[in-house]
Amino acid sequence: MSDPTEILQLVLNGLMAGTILAVPAIGLTAIYAVLRFPNFALASHATVGAFAGWLTNTMLAWPIIPSLGAAFLAAGAVGVATDEFVLRRFRAAGFVTTAIGSIALTIALENLLRMAFGNDLRQYDLPMTRDWRFWGLHLGPQQVQNMAAALVVMAAVFAFLAFTRAGKAMRAVADNPGLARIKGIDPVRVARIVSFGAMGLAGIGGMLIGLDTSIDPLTGFRVMLSVFAAAVLGGLGSIPGAVLGALAIGVAEELCLLVLNPNYRSVIGFLAILIVLVLRPAGLLGQRT
Amino acid sequence: MTLTRRSILASTALLATPALLRAQEPPIQLGILTPLTGAGGFDGPRMLKAMQAVANAINEQGGLLGRKITFAIEDDQTNPEAAVRAARKLIDVDRVPVIMGTWASAVTTAVAPVCWESKVFLTTCSGADSITQLPHRGFLVRTQPNSNLQGTAHAAFMASLGARRVGILSIQAPFAQPTQDRVTEVMKQNGSQVVAGLIYEKDKTSYRSEIDQVLRAKPDMIYLNGYTPDVSVVLRDLYRAGYEGAKFTQSYAMTAKAAETLPKEVTEGIYTGQPSADIDSTAYTSAAKLLGAKELDGYEAQSNDWMSLVALAIARAKSPTGQAIHDTIRRISQGDGQKVYTAVEGLAVLAKGAEINYEGASGSCDFTDIGDIQQSKFRFNQVRAGILNFVKLV
Repeated sequence: MSDPTEILQLVLNGLMAGTILAVPAIGLTAIYAVLRFPNFALASHATVGAFAGWLTNTMLAWPIIPSLGAAFLAAGAVGVATDEFVLRRFRAAGFVTTAIGSIALTIALENLLRMAFGNDLRQYDLPMTRDWRFWGLHLGPQQVQNMAAALVVMAAVFAFLAFTRAGKAMRAVADNPGLARIKGIDPVRVARIVSFGAMGLAGIGGMLIGLDTSIDPLTGFRVMLSVFAAAVLGGLGSIPGAVLGALAIGVAEELCLLVLNPNYRSVIGFLAILIVLVLRPAGLLGQRT
Repeated sequence: MTLTRRSILASTALLATPALLRAQEPPIQLGILTPLTGAGGFDGPRMLKAMQAVANAINEQGGLLGRKITFAIEDDQTNPEAAVRAARKLIDVDRVPVIMGTWASAVTTAVAPVCWESKVFLTTCSGADSITQLPHRGFLVRTQPNSNLQGTAHAAFMASLGARRVGILSIQAPFAQPTQDRVTEVMKQNGSQVVAGLIYEKDKTSYRSEIDQVLRAKPDMIYLNGYTPDVSVVLRDLYRAGYEGAKFTQSYAMTAKAAETLPKEVTEGIYTGQPSADIDSTAYTSAAKLLGAKELDGYEAQSNDWMSLVALAIARAKSPTGQAIHDTIRRISQGDGQKVYTAVEGLAVLAKGAEINYEGASGSCDFTDIGDIQQSKFRFNQVRAGILNFVKLV
């Protein structure tokens, strides 16, 4: 059977993957909390962020951290624009229509990126480094840096929600839209803030994924199942839930290699969604069904 | 109907110029289904251009059966579901007699039944053995050697480099297991062994854990049998994991473009293998000239050959239907006829009533009963400092 080092290595890999997954998962769940639909266009917004960061990193020679900022701003701006001009019109028609509309939107955005950048794989301007080795384990410096960036972003999100007026307004709308409106909170403004912030997070997530690999127009699409599974597992609408869900999915996808053939790894995401929907539809930390 | 002077004049003019009359006949529309997006997005657009170049050359010489060739083009997205929808559209709406260009084995496997059931001919460059074993009733040929031929050539090459312990990392695809089995067999015949074989899932952002599994078997050569998006991730992860041994992959996974853009340290030294265009042949030179390129890769050469074979089969049968292509393709691709190297040349010979044997840019294009090519050359390259360098032709 597998030795403890192997299991520890898998858990480590899973935690690394999970923290990065958590960033776009927070975005997905935040949109769900406030606007009440799963925005699948998150996938293409992650790609938009990855490409924006790539442009500033390779064309303008910005370092990685400012480029992550560019990824956030670009994906956020596109998020506000697409919500304003596309998805807002769908919302009146209900949950399912909006969710399907967001799938159409993501395909459209993905193909716009394809028209602009082509299908080639693109790399960030980053030196390749060998992994650090210790106690029979190995860990990539880039992975650790990405994880640190993801943790800082998550801390910023929690601080924003807890301490700023806009953050509190968002939570108020998520908790009780009717009451929030009576108290004078403008739902349109809150929708814009959440679209900007959530898609910005997707953009950062897209770039973090790209930093470790390479990017192309399908970058965001590839992780969408895991991101969705993470948000559902944690409880759609719960931000701490999204983080917990992402870590759980990340670790489970790695640990499953102990018993499953690697070509069945995606089954974990689907299984998680299935089990949650059957046993606890509200998810781990969700309150609503 | 009343005859006016003008209408009589017009009819006379038409009768007097048969070429003009012919030009007004509807064009022959052929189907192209290549991956313009997805993992095949690098090869598909170039394959499309290669087919268009041949059609343009034919059109400039008066067309096929006196009619212009036009194309209905769809993107298979390197995705079986999307490909089947696209194929249905080509067959049901555009009514094409042939679909040319499916690239990924999973795509071809899904599209082939749609084609043969509608008596539409399919030409492909997918390698999985299982494809020609489908009950396609002769409505399919492929110019790419099958996994068995490829596995044999690749294993022999790795053995010739002195590999004793080979680890295989394959993407989940119809060719993965057959190739792995064949490589294992041939390595054994060469006194070497396959120490680890693993099939991974596509579209993952990291393959660290999979790589750890394979590296535990201490291979001195790793065979990466995947597509560019995943192989580029695997190569990075192999570098990070500190693997220093030799690496081998398919040329379509390590294209010139990928070698140029991936970090040099991760691609350094990797060997690539590809079914080779017959680079010394007249057909190859002509096809390259047609595309205005110095060199063709295997896919451009094969695409050039599909369009040529289809045009010649239609001309030989004097009928632009899938059944006609099915019935005549082997009469123009092999046998005792006069050897021809381009479609235009072949059409000229056919017009004189003689038989032809088309020799293509990708090889001799002689097909077995089930639609496989009978033989193929293989070209091996090695990436050094981001550039593919020729190693040998087998």
